[in-house]
Amino acid sequence: MLQVLLSGLAIGAIYGLVGMGFAIAFYVTRVINFAEGQLLMVGVMVAAWLARTGLDPWLAVVVGIAAAAAVGAVTYLVAVRPVLAFDRFSFAWLVSTLGVALILENGAALIWGPTSRSFPALLTGTSVHVGSATLTLQEVVTIGLAVVVAIAFELYRRKTLFGKLGMAIAHDPEMATALGANTAVVAAAAFALAGAFAGLAGVLIGPITYSNPYLGDTYGIAGFVALMIGGTARPAAAMVGGLLLGILGEAANKLINTQASDWFPFVVVVVILLVLPEGLFSLVGPLRRLVLRRSRRTSPVRVAG
Amino acid sequence: MSAAAPALHIAGLHAGYGRYDVLRGVDLDVGPGEAVGLLGPNGAGKTTLLRSIMGLVKHRRGVLSVAGTDLLRLPAHRIARGHAGLVPEGRRLFVDQPIEDNLLLGALHLRRHRDRVAELLESVYDLFPVLRDLRRRPAGALSGGQQQMVAIGRMLMSDPKVLLLDEPSLGLAPIAIGEVAEALEALREQGRSILVVEQRVDLVLRMCDRIYVLAGGEVALEERASALGDDGRALIDAYLG
Amino acid sequence: MTGAISLPRASKPALFVLALAGYAVFAYWAAHSTLYIQGLVLVAAVFGMLAVSLDLVAGMVGLYSLGHAGLFAIGAYATTILYNDHHWNLFVILPVCLAGVGAVGLLLGAISLRVSGLYFAITTFVFTLVLTVFASDFKFTGGYGGLIGPIFPEFPSWLHWAGTSVTWACLIALLLATLVVLAIRVSPLYPVLLAIRDAEPFAAAAGAPTAAVRVGVFGLSAAIAGGAGWMFAFQGIVSPSQFSWQVSVNILVMVILGGINTTIGPILGAVFITVFPAQVNINPFWQEVLFGALFVAVIVAFPSGFVGLLRLVWRHALRRLGAGRARVERAVETPAAEAVVAPERVNGAAPAAPAIECHGIVFRYGSGPLVLNHVDFTVRRATIHGLIGPNGSGKSTLVDLISGRLRPVAGSIEIEGTPVDRQGVTTRVRHGVARTFQSAVLVDELSARQNVQVGLYTRVPRLGPRSLAWPVIPSARRDSRALRERVDESLSFVGARSWAPVRVSDVPHGIAQLTQLAAASAWGPRTLILDEPLAGLSPKEVEHAASILTKLKASGVSIVLIEHQPRFVFALCDEVTVLAAGEVVATGPAASVRENEQVREVYLGQ
Repeated sequence: MLQVLLSGLAIGAIYGLVGMGFAIAFYVTRVINFAEGQLLMVGVMVAAWLARTGLDPWLAVVVGIAAAAAVGAVTYLVAVRPVLAFDRFSFAWLVSTLGVALILENGAALIWGPTSRSFPALLTGTSVHVGSATLTLQEVVTIGLAVVVAIAFELYRRKTLFGKLGMAIAHDPEMATALGANTAVVAAAAFALAGAFAGLAGVLIGPITYSNPYLGDTYGIAGFVALMIGGTARPAAAMVGGLLLGILGEAANKLINTQASDWFPFVVVVVILLVLPEGLFSLVGPLRRLVLRRSRRTSPVRVAG
Repeated sequence: MSAAAPALHIAGLHAGYGRYDVLRGVDLDVGPGEAVGLLGPNGAGKTTLLRSIMGLVKHRRGVLSVAGTDLLRLPAHRIARGHAGLVPEGRRLFVDQPIEDNLLLGALHLRRHRDRVAELLESVYDLFPVLRDLRRRPAGALSGGQQQMVAIGRMLMSDPKVLLLDEPSLGLAPIAIGEVAEALEALREQGRSILVVEQRVDLVLRMCDRIYVLAGGEVALEERASALGDDGRALIDAYLG
Repeated sequence: MTGAISLPRASKPALFVLALAGYAVFAYWAAHSTLYIQGLVLVAAVFGMLAVSLDLVAGMVGLYSLGHAGLFAIGAYATTILYNDHHWNLFVILPVCLAGVGAVGLLLGAISLRVSGLYFAITTFVFTLVLTVFASDFKFTGGYGGLIGPIFPEFPSWLHWAGTSVTWACLIALLLATLVVLAIRVSPLYPVLLAIRDAEPFAAAAGAPTAAVRVGVFGLSAAIAGGAGWMFAFQGIVSPSQFSWQVSVNILVMVILGGINTTIGPILGAVFITVFPAQVNINPFWQEVLFGALFVAVIVAFPSGFVGLLRLVWRHALRRLGAGRARVERAVETPAAEAVVAPERVNGAAPAAPAIECHGIVFRYGSGPLVLNHVDFTVRRATIHGLIGPNGSGKSTLVDLISGRLRPVAGSIEIEGTPVDRQGVTTRVRHGVARTFQSAVLVDELSARQNVQVGLYTRVPRLGPRSLAWPVIPSARRDSRALRERVDESLSFVGARSWAPVRVSDVPHGIAQLTQLAAASAWGPRTLILDEPLAGLSPKEVEHAASILTKLKASGVSIVLIEHQPRFVFALCDEVTVLAAGEVVATGPAASVRENEQVREVYLGQ
């Protein structure tokens, strides 16, 4: 049981990172970047390629993440900004970001070939025992890093001026403009950060999947489902969604049968969405209001307008 | 007033959203240190005028400058960086974020000048002492009057050359209206250049040196506030017919 | 229909016949070509149907469904299983497919409509995802390998000259799907659908049951997708990978890339996406990269898709030919001499009962402060009753309560003596109540004429079902003509007749206000609630609008007039009620309210 939980967390952390990538870009621009999964692939492919050319594997991994971030920003500038400038409410970005996904996936296959290639193993050999369960060092690092990154992001969003600006743009982009915010720059930065999250997920999963131009599909969809579970109100919720998805998949795999991991998590997601159509975290708002109202009764501040 | 360059100079301004203009050749000036009131029926184009000054209305032509800087050539986010500041209708605060964050977001372009930001923040808290105590509270949890103070403070944080306020008394309780009006009078004392859209004739007469009435996208009347009588009977009569 | 440049009306049927003939020639050619091309035509036609069906919901009512691959899968699997295992006749399966998948669509729509926008897309997306996962895991669906589909019956011998039967079948199916959607597009339901999409309060105030219409349209769209599934079964193999969520996304791409809410755009998109990869024979990776680059390039250059590109070319060609119409200068005209729109005479209601009677209305939003505090409000028949007060005094809220958009916390409302407290917006419309909204809630992309048509929703019997075959139903043609006359009369009545064909996004504000007034009064309501109809009008336009209201009153309509400019109110109204901070300050004959000191104080502020 513990083994299921921990293995689930390890794979769920990857889903969560990709899900947060979707969420961060969506948070600022209200656009789902359908090339998000392909950004994970870019991270993996670039890192693997650089390692093969003899670059230090650690450096290769860092460049891989940076490459994913750069491609993310370019995606915004080339495929998203022009269509939003025409009509902020159209869904034309669906077509253009899918186009980018096609270009990235097949471009990678053109450059590096369509087959799986090796990925530099950075953390090998050691396994970690937690109670009755055993995890590889790779898995432990993945879980740890994902949780740290999610918390760090949330702190960054709330505590730095740039993070606060992101929140402001998410809430009311026009008002943010009227306060001097260059929303295009912030949006491009959000896409770059979303790319970096996917790239990080890529180099963490790379040692297990190897480098392959078609990785984007699998992890893209899982990340998207993680986003749905968490809802779009706060990006870090997608990490919780990802972890939950990972555990559900692993549990279905072990406890039902191997095929069940394909459908069981989704059935759970359907149930969650039917009950809470705006994601698991749509509960947070009403709960907080309930608590706040109780605390306000004793506070001297007037609430009524 | 005629001697110095006007703080805000508008001449023959046309602006709108679709093919037809909402503003049809507006001429309006705000002198340095002058408080100007803008009255008119709903739909006359008052809000559109303020939004045009801020660059939030895309289609604009005519003359529009603040202290000699041509605003028609600047994108909206550049106008907001010290040229003009807006308190929008309905306040539009970032309600989930603390008051202090709302205020700091007003000073985005000054982020490299920490001392200046601290100084501005201090001046806002001096103007609205109640906000200092509440600065960690989410803006949405405040009363309407306090929210309006935050909106005014947020605008002041950008250190604008001309202050634009859209219906600052709208939806406020009488006590809160009094507080907001006092704050605006204090700003006028400081020698700020102010353009305020307001429906409450009494407030406009109390706060402003000069008054424009906008109707159908054009200036229908321009008059010194003192010429309208102490209680503004003349203007009220014009309203009630 | 609403574009500034169009061909003379007479040439439209001719063009239509020409297009049909061209299509028949193409079908004949396709039915005699190689198996490879026939396979391609089948797939393209099936995806054409899917794109057309998705455009019906996405384009016309704004529901971006990702459930269409799932609905498509149900059709294809049901056909294959019913034929293979239960040996049903293929032409019995077809109606079963249409009805069954349509019913699934109604259910899915009803469940998913709890959410809107992105969340609607997500819920329907999960539907597709789960269906395909089950299809790959269950035995009776053949698992990952899928099932072998039925073979389409050959033509009888006297039709052998026509070529391959299945090619004709799929092209006819696509044609039928397109014609059904086209019928809706030219029917009076179309403006109503767009109003539901863009201006829901307007549609509801016109008496359209917006949620039911949405679900109904989704059901129809699902039925077409089910039909596409039936057709697809003849393609050979039916397997889960053909109905994955990516297929759902692809169908949406076809719609957007081709041109959303257009007749041929979705088909162009479907043909491009199915034929391009099959016909461009270069290195497969280069081909996909090129494909992706075309997505980006087309949508960035033409955000409205291929149809946007075609329109540009078309306009260019027309300009070359010098067929561009000269711009007509329009202005507000003198309104028609008499009130042509008489209200329906009441039968049964006691003549003494007031038009509107509100007792002790209390209202607040959620747990917020009181917006209305024990408001009594009575409007006598055939009078103009002014409702004035400063912004935020509760005028619009009171009107929303009367029209049924909001429910009071306490108090009761009667319309012509009938209590309506338990009735929704659409039912109250049937009591003869019409209303307009502050700052003109209209459908921007429709003409003034089409917007007024929305207001006549309740005047067309069984509009929903009849719209599916609108152009060929004789009674519908009569209705269309009558509707058009009524709309034009109504527009003449407000003096905006010459603006009838112009898109609302291109008319001045005053005309938009008058169009709204025309839409609200066109069907002959007995009570008319106008929320700031004079806002933003020039003094001349105000005078014009006032004369219209006086004429409406003369014809027996009771009018509630919310207004901000007291000067016009006192001149125009018989009685006036003044609200301030949610309470009635004064009410009574206009002259006495005007002299009321308290009222002057409300406007003075203290």
